[in-house]
Amino acid sequence: MANFILRKAEPKDVSDILRLIKELAKFEEMEDQVILTEKDLLEDGFGDHPFYHCIVAEVPKHHQSADGHVIIGFAMYYFTYDPWIGKLLYLEDFYVMKEYRGFGIGSEILKKLSQTAVRTRCSSMHFIVAEWNKPSIEFYKRRGASDLSLEEGWRLFKIDKQNLLKMTDEE
Amino acid sequence: MTCTASSLQGAIKEPVASLFRTYETHPTVAYSRLFGGIQAILVTDQRYCRNQKTLFAKMRFTICAAKPEDCKDIERMIMELAVYEKMPDQVKISHKELERDGFGPNPYYQCLVAEVPEELMSKDGHTKVGYALFFYTYSTWKGRTVYMEDLYVMPEYRSKGIGKALMATVAKVAKEQHCVRLQFSVLDWNKPSLDFYLAKGAEDLTAKEGWHFLRFHGIALDNLAQEAP
Repeated sequence: MANFILRKAEPKDVSDILRLIKELAKFEEMEDQVILTEKDLLEDGFGDHPFYHCIVAEVPKHHQSADGHVIIGFAMYYFTYDPWIGKLLYLEDFYVMKEYRGFGIGSEILKKLSQTAVRTRCSSMHFIVAEWNKPSIEFYKRRGASDLSLEEGWRLFKIDKQNLLKMTDEE
Repeated sequence: MTCTASSLQGAIKEPVASLFRTYETHPTVAYSRLFGGIQAILVTDQRYCRNQKTLFAKMRFTICAAKPEDCKDIERMIMELAVYEKMPDQVKISHKELERDGFGPNPYYQCLVAEVPEELMSKDGHTKVGYALFFYTYSTWKGRTVYMEDLYVMPEYRSKGIGKALMATVAKVAKEQHCVRLQFSVLDWNKPSLDFYLAKGAEDLTAKEGWHFLRFHGIALDNLAQEAP
């Protein structure tokens, strides 16, 4: 099975995108943390000010999944800024359904993203990976990725809504 | 130690009355003119004498959205932060790129600048003494988020509430844009910053959930792109 296409996501794809987001979250053992809805995805990706861009992998009907799906992979990304080197492409999510792995779909998605990065004058493509996710880390390292957390000591932090609101109240 | 007008009179060169007048127009200048290690802060009708080392009840500063003409100052402070992070040779862009990328029709970042009045300018003559650079990102789990890329205050202006105010303003913007989370990254050896953020309720996701930053950079990115059909 080598027959698939990669295309820009459209509004009609949001239900498939949410399904794949939840599948990936399940794999990362955090599916109860997904609170995003189809309505959010629609408004945030296809409104006046898109917060993200998305490409989807689609197979022909005769290769649909066991549950009858033809959208079998996706990548969500957006542009960020590094004050040292300028524009960056940030890869937020990248997933191919289990039954469609090993056919080069993931590689093709990554190549398309890197082309987009180069075309839009990005110096770098950044993303995060959980340290226990050895298959993904190997996948990326094989292709020339470097681990900035290991090499330079960067740690990712978050401040959630509750504490954010506390900060605004104190001002 | 509370000082009266007459006791101050002997300790200072300027008559007290002119000090009061100066305070009305330039409060900070009033106390910078005293000498001998004793400085007075005029607070409404009372005067307090403080030892020079325990001065500054409250530093005056403003936080504003950056303008294109601020880019030279932002560039200067970006380099100062890069030096602190021990990576100055990694800075490749200048104020020209900052102007193009932050103030065009499609800005790639937002920036806030902290400014002090002229009488508090740095020894090199700068009044722009801190900045916060951030942009909007997206979490497939939670939705809209803000990523704070840089937060910096010049060393001589620290511990005066400027960093806290910059971050609170970023939080305000995040709240107005219905963002559910603020994310940022810190170097593992940077204890002062780690303490600052942890005190505000920040959580270390690298420690807690094992997230690592990876990247395809320069030649690695080009190679990946060239393999495309």
